[in-house]
Amino acid sequence: MRLRGVTKSFGKGSLEVKALRGIDLDLSAGQLVMLVGPSGCGKTTLVSVISGVLNADVGEVSLFGIDWRSLREDAKTGRRADMVGFVFQQFNLLAPLSAWQNVAVPLMIRGVNQREAKARACDELAAMGLGDRVNSMPAQLSGGMQQRVAIARALVGSPRLLVCDEPTAALDAKTGQIVMDLIQRASRKVDDKGRGCCVIVVTHDNRVFQYADRIEEMEDGELKVKPAEFILKEATHAARQ
Amino acid sequence: MWRIALAMLLGDKPKYLALVCGLAFAVLLISQQMAIFMGLLIRSTGPLQNVSQPDLWVADEAMRWISETRNLAETDLQRIKSVPGVAWAEPFFTGRANADLPNGSQRFVNIIGIDRTTMVGQPPLVTEGRLEDLRIEGAIMVEESARAKLDGVKIGDVLKLNDQRAVVIGFCRAKAGFDSPAVVYTTFKNAIKFQPLGRNKLPYVLVKVREGVSVAEVQRTINAIPEIKAFTWDEMNAITIKFILVETGIGINFGITVLLGLIVGLAVSGAIFYQFTMENSRSYAVLKAMGTKRWTLVGMVLLQATWVGLVGFGIGVGLTSLFTLQSRRPGVELAALFPWQLLVGSFVGMILCMSAGSILSLQRVLRLEPGVVFK
Repeated sequence: MRLRGVTKSFGKGSLEVKALRGIDLDLSAGQLVMLVGPSGCGKTTLVSVISGVLNADVGEVSLFGIDWRSLREDAKTGRRADMVGFVFQQFNLLAPLSAWQNVAVPLMIRGVNQREAKARACDELAAMGLGDRVNSMPAQLSGGMQQRVAIARALVGSPRLLVCDEPTAALDAKTGQIVMDLIQRASRKVDDKGRGCCVIVVTHDNRVFQYADRIEEMEDGELKVKPAEFILKEATHAARQ
Repeated sequence: MWRIALAMLLGDKPKYLALVCGLAFAVLLISQQMAIFMGLLIRSTGPLQNVSQPDLWVADEAMRWISETRNLAETDLQRIKSVPGVAWAEPFFTGRANADLPNGSQRFVNIIGIDRTTMVGQPPLVTEGRLEDLRIEGAIMVEESARAKLDGVKIGDVLKLNDQRAVVIGFCRAKAGFDSPAVVYTTFKNAIKFQPLGRNKLPYVLVKVREGVSVAEVQRTINAIPEIKAFTWDEMNAITIKFILVETGIGINFGITVLLGLIVGLAVSGAIFYQFTMENSRSYAVLKAMGTKRWTLVGMVLLQATWVGLVGFGIGVGLTSLFTLQSRRPGVELAALFPWQLLVGSFVGMILCMSAGSILSLQRVLRLEPGVVFK
């Protein structure tokens, strides 16, 4: 994944806010990258642009060889369905759907028939340790369980990019660890074609930094230059990988 | 995705019920008021529907509708009989009288007078007694739904019509008129005794055209006679309905009620459906972020609108149908008619109501930024 000179502003005139100021970033599959920084620094805007949910004003955003700018809105939406999985801070499960139905939504969007979608959703839930809760409604599940359902939903379509926005913010420390274990496991997984998944986690939670292969810090819409010892640590980690 | 759309809709039970109830009420208001309107229009032609034998109704040329007559002279009857192609021409009486009931109360009755020999214009169905007994001096046959209005009269009871003695000899079924007074049948001779008419005594002359002769030709010939006019059944029907529509203001009044129903439907269903979409906007944003295409989202919203529309429509027209069936029971004063055209009209009303809600909701869903899922 490659970003070059990406800028994004909101509002106009005196109300204009520059959320991203010329971001350059390269990410590769199999990495768990954490995006950290104070509130309002542009982390969420950056992952929105990377995942094609928002359009950059200027700059190149290409995901596995596809330049988002070259795609029309509907084509971009289709690509998002095929390639991107999302895990949100507030889980964003659809309340009237059971756990397996929630997990099956990305497959249904792709047009997978219901029987197959159900089977795959139940397998994914079982992998998340929720094999006995497939028919539970979101309201019947704890916060940790709901987030695991959300992770299952994000992973069921074997995405090549997993975007996690504050996945542990609404959870206690122990549940947060379980959720991060699952997210890390996803970053290590390869699909049938041997392709890995790039995982970006936006977080404030310094208890989960240990799971990162790489940490990018943002401030005022820019990526901060890393200290030399940090880069060395990352290089060591990459070599170990 | 359609299952998800329906799950979203049915999952929010209070809103779903409010939507369905609002639409059902709007459809009920539209269809029931239209049914009553149609029923009243048809009822206005009730006396016409009871008489099927003649080809032409001849009346004074100034006649405006079936219940408002200006009498013809007896010489007109002879002139009509002499028109080439006329098989028979018989007098037919319709008029009002005041009935003194056995319990001492009074009631207006509509007297139908038929020819005593041919019985042309006779009631469509005799339920009790014999039609021939009408030939007895002062005999009347009471329409079934008038039994209660006339204090539960029985065969043999004696009433006074305009102070003249009238004996109940039987009961029959016939359609009531617009203002729905008690209907009694008698012979033409008895009728003009109950309600003396002066020099001109013939409200209508019923004409049968000889087989093989053109009705239009006979009609033209009769129309050439000064001050009288011949009408076919369809023409009588049309001028009666036109009179009710134009002269009574009933069309405008019912139109306003139907419009109110439409406005209630538009406002209630539109507002609730839009609110439902607003409250589900996060779910739509999640679906959009996960890759649901615009047209799929449009389809989901339209499916939800169609679903509540059809359920509300079903309940609304179902209630109107029950009301219409109830109005058909003997003795019930309600006038309602529910033809298929009204079903289509109500359906169009429902579509209009749901379109308003759908358009607002679609705008909301299509303008939704998927980025809100991160907030």
